[in-house]
Amino acid sequence: MNSAIGKLYPTTKFFVLLALVIVCIFQPGWQLQYLMLPVVLVISLLAGTAKQFLGTFFKSIFIIILFIFAIQVFIVANEDAQPIWTFIHFSQTGLDESLTMTSKIAAISSLVICYFQVTSVQDIIFAMEKGGLPKKVTFVISSNIQLIPQMSALSKTITDAQRSRGIETEGSLIVRAKAFVPMLGPLVLSSIQQIEERVLALESRAFSSKAKKTSIYEIEKTAADHALSWLSLLAVIAYIVGRVV
Amino acid sequence: MDMVTLNHVSYQYPLESGEVIRDLSLTLEAGRVYGLIGANESGKTTLCNIIRGFIPALYKGKLTGEVRVKGRPVEEYADGELATIIGYSFQNPFTQISGVKDTVYEELAYGMENIGVPREKMVERVDELVRIFHLEELVRKNPFELSGGQKQRVALASMLALDPELVILDEPTSQLDPQSTDDIFEIIQLLKQQGKTILLVEHKIDLVAAYCDDILLLHQGKLVMQGSAQQVLTDPKVLDYGGQLPQAALYFLARRAQGQPADRIPLTVQQAYEILKK
Repeated sequence: MNSAIGKLYPTTKFFVLLALVIVCIFQPGWQLQYLMLPVVLVISLLAGTAKQFLGTFFKSIFIIILFIFAIQVFIVANEDAQPIWTFIHFSQTGLDESLTMTSKIAAISSLVICYFQVTSVQDIIFAMEKGGLPKKVTFVISSNIQLIPQMSALSKTITDAQRSRGIETEGSLIVRAKAFVPMLGPLVLSSIQQIEERVLALESRAFSSKAKKTSIYEIEKTAADHALSWLSLLAVIAYIVGRVV
Repeated sequence: MDMVTLNHVSYQYPLESGEVIRDLSLTLEAGRVYGLIGANESGKTTLCNIIRGFIPALYKGKLTGEVRVKGRPVEEYADGELATIIGYSFQNPFTQISGVKDTVYEELAYGMENIGVPREKMVERVDELVRIFHLEELVRKNPFELSGGQKQRVALASMLALDPELVILDEPTSQLDPQSTDDIFEIIQLLKQQGKTILLVEHKIDLVAAYCDDILLLHQGKLVMQGSAQQVLTDPKVLDYGGQLPQAALYFLARRAQGQPADRIPLTVQQAYEILKK
């Protein structure tokens, strides 16, 4: 988040994201959308999040794209399908359709992944509060994000406790699945139990105060933020005008 | 000045058959340190929740009697207003973190943010707390990455950021190691020097004897003994109510029972040492 891109105001990055997403949705074909992948990769490289981006992309989006290609090209029986072996055949229509479909998925999801990797949650929450969102809403969002690693740590503690009592927690998929079920009860109950204490702790910090919330964490919009935001808006207008005319 | 006054207060939790607090009346004077002691389930935490206004604001049930904070009925305080008058620290250090802040530095400011303190004042106050609580090495860390003792210190500092006049500490050291316990009592000593009113719930009776001016002993929801630490913590009746006495007091009471006269029953090991030296 220390790069120039990381330091941009969250809404600036959001406007850029929105402009690119709009273009990707309304631009026919698939070339521009697939071109967005190297663009996002360059942005990630500049922001220092390329490794993170590639990891997330190949673990999620790439698998979905491959799956769509496999189904559309080799399984769905289009009119031009040419048999290869039993139910497997090749379809040019399927290939064209999957290129169009996957290009949009790849472009939009890459842009969204990149946005969240170059923007800290703290910055997003700050921008939301500054934008006038109620503190209860921003609290729910940020506490849920923080909750995931906490739940993960708690589940590890419960698993360790169960392992020390002789329950097998490692091995085949079935063994791990069996160990997962008895962990759910304590995990959910502990989390519920902690809610009461957390409510009291928050109330001790004047959470219910009606005063307008301030923030010790601060980020400010720079000239670059304003320029990029306007540029994004103008780009979208130019694109729409270009498409209509 | 009376900080807190309770008049004939009784409380029953929803779905419970009996009262947890029974016809309890007491006054907490400003600037004094009160030790709230008693066996488990004697109603200590419930009493703290009543004083803080969590009962009946957050816990339903049947509350009767009158609770006043600085002369004003507790239910008349606006939402969040009591947090600036009464600070409350809980037993479990792991659930006292707000869960929405990335660094200890921001965690310390969370209460002030909620009451709308300007940023410059917050920075000033947080810097002061960091210095007082020796949190320099922790300020950039995520609060969830801290040990239990460190979390408790951060929770205490966060609570004190609002500069409350009354501080309720509900077993703040129950889950801590001896070093962290010493750190917390160092803070209590500091608060005492600052003239804060403190209500300390604690089972480590030797520490209660060393730090508290007055003792309140609860037994089955009733206030059965109250007085100066010297009066209460040297009285063997405390043991009848499931309470504990300091080691020094127990030793001198045993000596007295064996026929060895003692003008004064000491509360702390230091006092005992001085008496024996004479």
